[in-house]
Amino acid sequence: MNDSSPGHPGRRYGWAIVIGILAVAGVLLALADISAGNRWPNPLAQSIVGSGITVRPTPSGNPQTLRFDRSRVGDRFIFDSPIAGFGPLNPYQALRAFLSNGAGLVLLALGALVVFPSRARSAVERLEARHGAEIALGAGLVMVLLTLAVITLLRFTLLFLAVVPLVLLVSLVAALFGIACISLAIGRLLHRRLRLPSVHPLIAALAGALVVFDLAVIPYAGVFALAAVAMAGLGLAVVTRFGSTSGWSFVDLDW
Amino acid sequence: MNAVPLACARVRVLLESYVDGDLARDDAPLAAEMREHLAGCADCRRQHHQAVSVPFRLKALISPPPRASLLADVMSSIGPAKTGYRRAWTLVAPEAILAAFILWYLSGLDGLSSIASGIFGDLQSLAGWGSGTGQLPSVPRVDIVLLIALIALAAIAGYHLSILIRLAPGALPTRRAARE
Repeated sequence: MNDSSPGHPGRRYGWAIVIGILAVAGVLLALADISAGNRWPNPLAQSIVGSGITVRPTPSGNPQTLRFDRSRVGDRFIFDSPIAGFGPLNPYQALRAFLSNGAGLVLLALGALVVFPSRARSAVERLEARHGAEIALGAGLVMVLLTLAVITLLRFTLLFLAVVPLVLLVSLVAALFGIACISLAIGRLLHRRLRLPSVHPLIAALAGALVVFDLAVIPYAGVFALAAVAMAGLGLAVVTRFGSTSGWSFVDLDW
Repeated sequence: MNAVPLACARVRVLLESYVDGDLARDDAPLAAEMREHLAGCADCRRQHHQAVSVPFRLKALISPPPRASLLADVMSSIGPAKTGYRRAWTLVAPEAILAAFILWYLSGLDGLSSIASGIFGDLQSLAGWGSGTGQLPSVPRVDIVLLIALIALAAIAGYHLSILIRLAPGALPTRRAARE
């Protein structure tokens, strides 16, 4: 990420501004997503941003519910939605979603890039090539079908039943690696399009991961956007064999 | 000019530059000595004759004309593989049909979720059986038609994946292409 120099003095803080805007957008989108609730077609919204209504402990209920929220500051910042039919606005919960799910996504993405830098580079180069993104998304979709078929097949066996969690774990790791590579690719795209100054690649990846988080918390469409990114990530990891430079080759089997 | 005549070994060393004309340009007296030596030494003359004939033979060689399909072959090998793209798209249809059939057979998403929950329930039973606190879970009965559909879906998806991997930018050539 060293092919441009900060020409304008204002560009020196370009990355900080972009990251700040993405963070604020993430919190605002999470706020809207919480207010939209679990309505169709967003059945999994609560799994990403949580509920807008705070669960209060009752004498007969589980007293551990608020064990990790002793200050209960969030209870004082719940507002009625200005739009009829939507749930309450809970900015504290939105910030909490950003600092938990958003930070988790960023840390996992950066961790994958730190551990596998050369593999990530190889994968991103192939993602940025012509038709790279479409092929990754298509391969991800096919991989989901393949994984579902294999898991369903294994379900009807006893011997290989224990392999199912392993298959799921490998798929999850592959998808995470792919999402990390996509984050870096998005960061590089921001660098080129916005003509931002040179920066450490992990900062660019951080911005890319924030874009992924922002996509995931778009009301109604977020779950589908996240599913598309995860599928593309899985497909990218499979197509590039976890970013291997040699790729898939069966030459060694053909002697 | 040197009084000592050139030895054959020295002539062999200088022969290449003599044949190329470099020696005559850089050191004319030495080239004249070479000429004298070659006139008197049959062995070195034969070497000289062979050395002279190699550049002439190389010049006499004509390049074989390229085959008519060369340009088209090169363009097809570096251009987008249209056949591969078409095949990648056409495979979506059987996959969609099989996936829809399997979903219908399993009674939709409810059936899929019951399979998922069954997997983890059976895994817990398996772990319990392993630790000696439970019974071995029983394998659910399954229709052959469903198994065939699942295997077909897995096979088509695997083949589809191999096509997409080949289409991906920077992919290695296939075994057949590598042999050719």
